[in-house]
Amino acid sequence: MTEQEIYADLSSKFGDKVIEFMEEGTLNPTVVVDAGAIAKIVTYLKDEERFQFDSLMNLAGHDADVETEFSVIYHLVSTELKHYITLKVFTSRDEPKVASIAEIHRTADWHEREAFDLYGINFEGHPDLKRILMEDDWEGYPLRKDYVPAEFYRGMRIEKVK
Amino acid sequence: MGRLHAEEMVLNMGPQHPSTHGVLRLKLRTDGEIVSHIEPVIGYLHRSFEKHAENLEYQMITPFTGRCDYLAAMGSEHGYAMAVEKMMAIELPERVEYLRVIFAELQRIASHLVAVGTFGLDVGAITPFIYCFRERELILDLFEMASGARLLYNYIWIGGLAHDVPPGFVEKTYEFLDAFDERVAEYNQILTGNKIFIERAADIGVMTPEVAINYGVTGPSLRASGVNIDIRRTEPYSIYDRFDFDVPLGQGLQGTIGDSWDRYYVRVLEMGESAKIIRQALDQLPVEGDVKSAIPRRIRPPKGEIYFRSENPRGELGYYIVSNGKNVPVRLKMRSPAFSNLSVINEIGQGWMISDVIAILGSLDIVLGEIDR
Amino acid sequence: MIQLLANWILSFDILSGMGNSVAWGLSLFIVAALIFAFVAVNAIVLVYIERKVSAFMQVRLGPMRVGKFGTLQTVADALKLLQKEDIIPRSADKVLFIIGPWVILVASVVTFAAIPFSDTWLAANMNIGLFYVVSISSIVVLGIVMAGWASNNKWSLYGAMRSAAQIISYEIPVGITLIAVVAVVGSLNLQTIIQEQAGTGNLFHWIPIPLPNWFIFHSPFLFIAAFVYLIGATAEINRTPFDIPESESELVAGFMTEFSGLRWALFFLSEYANATLVAFLVSIVFLGGWQSPFADYQGTQIGFSIITLVAIMWTLFVRAKTGRLSVYPLGLSLVITISAWLFPGFAIWMASPGIFWMLMKAGSIIFMLMWFRWTFPRLRVDQLMYVSWKVILPLSLINLMGVAIWMWLTGEIQF
Repeated sequence: MTEQEIYADLSSKFGDKVIEFMEEGTLNPTVVVDAGAIAKIVTYLKDEERFQFDSLMNLAGHDADVETEFSVIYHLVSTELKHYITLKVFTSRDEPKVASIAEIHRTADWHEREAFDLYGINFEGHPDLKRILMEDDWEGYPLRKDYVPAEFYRGMRIEKVK
Repeated sequence: MGRLHAEEMVLNMGPQHPSTHGVLRLKLRTDGEIVSHIEPVIGYLHRSFEKHAENLEYQMITPFTGRCDYLAAMGSEHGYAMAVEKMMAIELPERVEYLRVIFAELQRIASHLVAVGTFGLDVGAITPFIYCFRERELILDLFEMASGARLLYNYIWIGGLAHDVPPGFVEKTYEFLDAFDERVAEYNQILTGNKIFIERAADIGVMTPEVAINYGVTGPSLRASGVNIDIRRTEPYSIYDRFDFDVPLGQGLQGTIGDSWDRYYVRVLEMGESAKIIRQALDQLPVEGDVKSAIPRRIRPPKGEIYFRSENPRGELGYYIVSNGKNVPVRLKMRSPAFSNLSVINEIGQGWMISDVIAILGSLDIVLGEIDR
Repeated sequence: MIQLLANWILSFDILSGMGNSVAWGLSLFIVAALIFAFVAVNAIVLVYIERKVSAFMQVRLGPMRVGKFGTLQTVADALKLLQKEDIIPRSADKVLFIIGPWVILVASVVTFAAIPFSDTWLAANMNIGLFYVVSISSIVVLGIVMAGWASNNKWSLYGAMRSAAQIISYEIPVGITLIAVVAVVGSLNLQTIIQEQAGTGNLFHWIPIPLPNWFIFHSPFLFIAAFVYLIGATAEINRTPFDIPESESELVAGFMTEFSGLRWALFFLSEYANATLVAFLVSIVFLGGWQSPFADYQGTQIGFSIITLVAIMWTLFVRAKTGRLSVYPLGLSLVITISAWLFPGFAIWMASPGIFWMLMKAGSIIFMLMWFRWTFPRLRVDQLMYVSWKVILPLSLINLMGVAIWMWLTGEIQF
């Protein structure tokens, strides 16, 4: 199944929760969907006989620039039917929150924790959302484009990067 | 007489522990020897690879990729180079493609040798580990010949290779391959068929295909569960479609499909398949060709994003790269195979004994440098 | 031996004035010192051998720098351990932490008091020698539990608990296996047990292959018993494949995790003392102790000729199978055989009992233990218990019964 067909199917099923189809500027054609509906859409893609997207290859947080919204990108693959789809959600900078898919794809558990750790994106419904790579008491979210490291971490000076 | 009051004990395995393959910490809840819950705590080796990548030019990232999975640096470099090349639509000379495949497969053998050896070490067999390292040395010699380095190479560059291989390299690789099959038979003699080893590994930590796929487990660990997914085969990148090789799957020869023994044995078999690929690649290797001819003068991938995946020794290595047309990526995420492979440990390790948790962890073959990045 | 030494001291004119009891006490002290020296030197030598053996099994060279072929390496290591800082963790139970290693060491050293190195070299000729050795050597478990508990470390505790369970479990089959031998001899005296094994006879009494009268060839049951004992004893001294109390890949170092310097060295010392003890016991109980395997000098010549033949065949077999030529076993046996034929004196010496044979036999057993260690993976704790309670224990009980029936059938005992 091509990405175009999947998009058509999704938009007929979910209506305005499926926002747009992006083919320009990406080598993996992407369906942009609503942040709150991502869990439902992923479940649908996983359970539906035609799709069988049973494997989440990758989940990445992304921050394009200091003014733009955060985005989270989901790369799904079907191990049975061998087709791919990329989903993308946007969430506001001030209050980033996305529905968690950790219960649907267990692999998303750690990937969502990583996105939370590095971007501060809140995954609602995640069973155990806490930092994974950084220290538990680290201040700030390092991969945000407007991240400024704190002066000290537990009394140790954090060296400034140019 | 009152009831004996017993409670679960929390046992910290690591971050300094001989069998956690690096600085991994496992928080075990134990009831005597039985482990009832495992919580991996990672991040002790976090070196901010992704933050670094956002501040470095594309060609400067190559050495960093090798430092993530330090046991398979060639594989990481290969994946990264291919991702950027695909963004820039670079056509590579044939010779480069063949040499890259040779190095990637040699690296796969070297990495699996460590995996097989350390798995033996985890269940208490010390000698096979040294045997495996003997062969790994030979591969590292080949790498040293080509790149000058033995662990972190910075050899596969975007659009080509750092240097062509020196004269005599092909002959030496043939020599290595000729001796290698016999050596694999030696591992099988000392470890694979050992009764105690089978008792320790078979039926332990069985991973069903559903669990494996749901947790994003990839690579040999997934194939040991009987799922026939090898990106080299299902979605051939580089020139893997030209070679004839098998994809070994777990068959449950000593127990259940997807047990630790299968995960171990799939790796042993895969080494033989890699040797087969290398032999074919050496046979077909074009003599002529400038390995640097396709290296772009300025590496500025067009605006856009890509998710590119390749088969690393540990599984699916994906690079998600976002470019805005400048010489520095906006976002580079490495989807590291061991990261997802490790997350399954609680699911398959619960209810086993401490010794088994170590065997299961060893059979997953993790590299902390890649998990923490 | 102590009385002999005391008499020898008193035989000097200058010393004769000290009186019998003083001389006796002095010789007691000397013998104790000799035994301790033996244990200490033995550990150093064995560590070196173990390193070399493991190195050769692992296609390495092993220690090569300190002294010729690294012979002084373990001496250097021992000196290093002696001057290391003695660390007692703050939250450790100090008293137990300090006594623990000593209990282990004492328990493993004093057992040597009853071990006959040769027909005269024996500290204490006890009529319950075997019982003494078995019972004293199990005190080791007390020290291990002490050390593990006192460390106040979860890993140490795990090691200690595993060790206690393991040693106690294996004590039973080991004891019963030894009882089978005691049933044959009718005595617990180790010297008597060895003397019973003098001379040559047929294999299992009936099969006409002339072999030494050792208990391993006494009956099929004792033949199995020897291996049962070896397996059980390997488990009792915590060596691979039964080294789960200190399994370094699981429990870091088990009960010795928190120990350093001298205290740690004591564990090491007792570990090798125990290994040696087991090797001695196997050779005493099943392999004829200090008895020579050859009846007389002709026996030596013929025996070594047969060994050479076997060595030739083995060499050819290895050559055919792997294409490699291993000359050392063949060369060694050839040299010994030729000298046995050329020099009757050498052959006579080979045929006479003595400490040489004791050490040879014990050495081969120790080599076997090392061989196990460097080739086998480790068992899991429940598998270890399985082996003990469901395999070895029934087997040893069957052996005990079988030996009794065998002796009744062969007419060694009558009712």
